Amino acid sequence: MTPDAGFSETPLPPTSPTILHVEGLCKSFGGRTIIKDVSFNIQEGEFVAVLGPSGAGKTTLFRCMASLIAPSQGRVVVFDTCPRDIKTRKRRQIAVVFQQFNLIGRRSALGNVLAGRLGYVPAWRGLTGHFSRDDRLWALQCLDRVGLLAHSERRADTLSGGQQQRVAIARAIAQRPAIVLADEPVASLDPQTGRSVLDLLRGICENERVAVVCSLHQVHLARAYADRVIGLANGNVVTDVRVAAFDKTSFNRIYGDASGGDLGSVDFAE
Amino acid sequence: MTFRRSVTESLVPIEARQPSRIWRRIRVSTITLLIATFYIASWQLAQVDLRRLVSGLPRLAYWLSKAWPPELDDLRLIMQRMAETISMAALGTTLASILAIPTAIMASRNITPAPSLYRPVRLFLSILRGIDSFVFALLFVAAVGLGPFAGVLGVGLHTWGSAAKLMADQIETLPLAPLEAAETTGAGRTTAIVYALLPEIGPIVLSVSLFWWEFNVRASTVLGVVGAGGIGQELKNSMDLLDFRRLFTIIAIIVIVVSIVDQLSGWLRARLS
Repeated sequence: MTPDAGFSETPLPPTSPTILHVEGLCKSFGGRTIIKDVSFNIQEGEFVAVLGPSGAGKTTLFRCMASLIAPSQGRVVVFDTCPRDIKTRKRRQIAVVFQQFNLIGRRSALGNVLAGRLGYVPAWRGLTGHFSRDDRLWALQCLDRVGLLAHSERRADTLSGGQQQRVAIARAIAQRPAIVLADEPVASLDPQTGRSVLDLLRGICENERVAVVCSLHQVHLARAYADRVIGLANGNVVTDVRVAAFDKTSFNRIYGDASGGDLGSVDFAE
Repeated sequence: MTFRRSVTESLVPIEARQPSRIWRRIRVSTITLLIATFYIASWQLAQVDLRRLVSGLPRLAYWLSKAWPPELDDLRLIMQRMAETISMAALGTTLASILAIPTAIMASRNITPAPSLYRPVRLFLSILRGIDSFVFALLFVAAVGLGPFAGVLGVGLHTWGSAAKLMADQIETLPLAPLEAAETTGAGRTTAIVYALLPEIGPIVLSVSLFWWEFNVRASTVLGVVGAGGIGQELKNSMDLLDFRRLFTIIAIIVIVVSIVDQLSGWLRARLS
């Protein structure tokens, strides 16, 4: 697949339903404000890249969106409910992919993908690890989707980094989410493996119309995979544009005029 | 060598913070004096008397010469008592491990379901740990009567406290990232803990339990001295009768069995990790 082909020129119709709504989000730790009044909407089937230098607050923003931490002010709304106010079960609508994969090392790849079903099955199945035949078949299909069917019985901690991240994506798919939040999913991987992981995320975005919000370090990857770019600097949203409109000005807003390191590989169309 | 002014100036406040030479000397001599006092006092309190050791050693040597050849007439009885000791240790440790699992989870700051109970549970465990199996056995012999059952209860209570603390300390070092991931799938808190952390907690529990079983086989060899059954009872009888050939047999069997248990437990624990 050539990710550049076509889609970047065809913005989604504005009528697509909003999946995730971030409103006036602030987060501070011990007096230090990390996120300052961040607001945006994520539409169904949209691939949004979040760019920003280290320390811009990307991870804090993701942890708030995933309701792993509570915002200091403002709120995150998924469909019409605030995940922190609703029962844990509803969290299955938001799948999370982590930079460090966060797999259960001593469980098999299949066992890790089945974790994606924990929000659906009755508690006793999760406690005993006894999943239905349908769930196991679905989990295997998810593993097949990421190309790891042959490794389903391997212990997760014996897999390579790229394989582990693909298992994590299979776990996210198994969850049948409305949105996938991926915090620096390729930062711990080599460039080629990173691209295969982004191909998978782009694939679920296009085929299942799942919204994907993905923070990245590399501008060229954002331009290649995303429909839209949100730029974060010092805890503020400094740019929020369709990828076709992402230009040098947007870049400078995020990284400052002085930075040039990554710019070399970015070819801006004027 | 010459240094830039800014470099030499940076050293000034660092040197200023260091204590002066005289102060350092006072500190060193105070510490030395305290340590010396501690050892002198201990020597007095322990009533160390080297003359008694010198006069006692020939007696030990004489007993040793009388202990050969070992007496094997009572071998069956001695083996039975040794089996009692092993069962006592195994049952006590199993009982302790079963009780230790939930208490260890309560006593692990990172995953405790009731943070307000963290300190009380830790305190309870340290009380259990502070009272030795031997002391518990003494109490239980008075309560439930002579025999290995008192030993099982004694071993069980002390090991409960010790094993739960060891487990909790190890659980507290577990990475919580997989738990976080499981919680984002919509699993309940308990389900997420069990699904994500049990694969890690299981081996910890097994390894700690094996360690304590091995330890308790050794510790229970003396429980018979207070009437709590097992090989210790024969040990005390033979000592009271100054039957050194029988004593030799008993000690030899303890050494053999304890080494076998050590090896077995070490091998099993190595296989776990």
